[in-house]
Amino acid sequence: MAGTIAARPARTTLAFTRPIAEPRPVRVILIGVALGFLLVFLFLPLIAVFVQAFAGGIGLYLRSISDPTALHAIKLTLLTAAIAVPLNTIFGVSAAWAIGKFEFRGKSVLVTLIDLPFAVSPVVSGLIYVLLFGLQGWLGPWLREHDIQIIFAVPGIVLATMFVTFPFVARELIPLMQAQGTEEEQAARMLGANGWQTFWYVTLPNIKWGLLYGVILCNARAMGEFGAVSVVSGHIRGRTNTMPLHVEILYNEYNFVAAFAVASLLALLALATLAAKSAVEARTGPKTPAAPFIASR
Amino acid sequence: MSITVRNISKTFGTYAALRNVDLDVGTGELVALLGPSGSGKTTLLRIIAGLDQPDPGSGTILFQDEDVASRPVGERRVGFVFQHYALFRHMSVFENVAFGLRVRPRSERQPAAEIAARVRALLALVQLEGLADTYPSQLSGGQRQRVALARALAVEPRVLLLDEPFGALDAKVRVELRRWLRRLHDELHVTSVFVTHDQEEALEVADRVVVMDHGRIEQVGTPDEVYNRPASPFVYQFLGSVNRFHGRVQNGRTYLGGHELGEVEDAGVEAGTAVGFVRPHEIEIVRCADGRPSLAARVLSAHSAGPMARVRLAREDTGEPVEALLSRDRFDQLSLQTGERVHIVLQRVRIFAGIAPDGASVAPP
Repeated sequence: MAGTIAARPARTTLAFTRPIAEPRPVRVILIGVALGFLLVFLFLPLIAVFVQAFAGGIGLYLRSISDPTALHAIKLTLLTAAIAVPLNTIFGVSAAWAIGKFEFRGKSVLVTLIDLPFAVSPVVSGLIYVLLFGLQGWLGPWLREHDIQIIFAVPGIVLATMFVTFPFVARELIPLMQAQGTEEEQAARMLGANGWQTFWYVTLPNIKWGLLYGVILCNARAMGEFGAVSVVSGHIRGRTNTMPLHVEILYNEYNFVAAFAVASLLALLALATLAAKSAVEARTGPKTPAAPFIASR
Repeated sequence: MSITVRNISKTFGTYAALRNVDLDVGTGELVALLGPSGSGKTTLLRIIAGLDQPDPGSGTILFQDEDVASRPVGERRVGFVFQHYALFRHMSVFENVAFGLRVRPRSERQPAAEIAARVRALLALVQLEGLADTYPSQLSGGQRQRVALARALAVEPRVLLLDEPFGALDAKVRVELRRWLRRLHDELHVTSVFVTHDQEEALEVADRVVVMDHGRIEQVGTPDEVYNRPASPFVYQFLGSVNRFHGRVQNGRTYLGGHELGEVEDAGVEAGTAVGFVRPHEIEIVRCADGRPSLAARVLSAHSAGPMARVRLAREDTGEPVEALLSRDRFDQLSLQTGERVHIVLQRVRIFAGIAPDGASVAPP
């Protein structure tokens, strides 16, 4: 008897949802198309990377990624990210702080400039640096006189990476900070907090999840950037090759196993990024549980 | 700590939010800034707080005898309660209240145990003892409001400023909370200024009411003064409902529908138009005028739910609507019929000259 009673409301619910739901075949087709697309264009390539990487057995795989030039490429990639990500984080937070919390002349110009690296092809970004710092570039003669090498060296790679990953943190934080307004900051100032305390105790905790999200995306792009870095690096093996460039060189030499072995590391990074991103997204509401009904009176 | 505002102006672009405002708030007073939206009341409050700057060279703001115009926000020792409370959403109620004490420079900061004791005492004062560890999102509007108040009081402010403190609450909580705020003020006696657009709130809570319109102060007075002796037509119309009777001034006397109404408030006006303001409860409805000056009117409708009866009438000569408020007894005694012809006697009229029939000021008041 109890079972019948329980079943009834469920049926009612179904009847209510039906008018806004699509017919079953349409739903199956839509979901099927979406999943099929994901399978063919995202999941299969990912599997292929790992299959190729381990095609010569685990021993060859390990040897491929512990090859000195591969290790150097990994180190250089980590170094580049370690410089570019913190700097872009600082820049992104300050830009978002300025744009989200203050009114000033030229604000819209600044917002447009922040988006520039997204709008420009990475190759062009790389060429800008060659034009600026290359031997024939504007600053080339001066740099040569002072024995500073930027293009075809690590500084150029870091600069190009920074340019390309410039917008990630700022883009993530600007809408968030604008939505949060300035009242909490004003309240903090009224209570006697100085600028730094206001930022550290009030602004930063409110944006920390958005910030982390931006940093994760920025890091993923910093490690994976190919186009701009390719232009300024010069592809000197063991000296100016980052992981993506190293993969390309190995591939062009028909060294598929080694190429895919290094590529698998980048793929792993992508997976780790996605996992971290989902973890952050799951927590976007900070430690305050969204339960306004708990203590309504 | 008294507040003195002298000749403060504030313009946003071409819009004048405040024009040469002067205001004195005495030590321990609770003052309401009352006005419609756009009247400049919040701007004035924010300038007193230091959140906005007055126009350069426009005037001074003194706390007691100290000019605070150049003091930064944090040094003014002002408690400010924001309209939407602006509680720190990632901090617990306890941390919110403790914030002002914890950010003090190390040399002035109390030991943690003292801060905790002070926060507990404040939470007890605002009746939120049990909620120290909850977060703002878990609280009701009234509770958030009280947390905001406790947080503002924690730093022992010299003055307390509240921006629409009851604006975001529902009607019942509003009434409870404003009575509670009045009692709290009677206990603490900290000089307080609050902004409101609700005349009932201002009249009930404040010691003195500052009525503002278009960036100017129209009148400052006790609730009784501003309600019963409004200084301008604006104040009359803004505070409570009012009937307007248009008349003419001749030789300093006002005439309305063939009757003399009385002397004009603005001495010196010899001739022109005038408007008489009469509150609904100052209108008497009679069947027979008995020779008293009266106007003929017809009863349109009567609304008698509640302790007073509200009768809507239309003047016979002009057709203009008139509203009268009668006591229950008087209403029952009259037993008015819809459409019935009666006489209305204006028991108390306040006349302002120089106002055109459409309500616009002919000459600036």
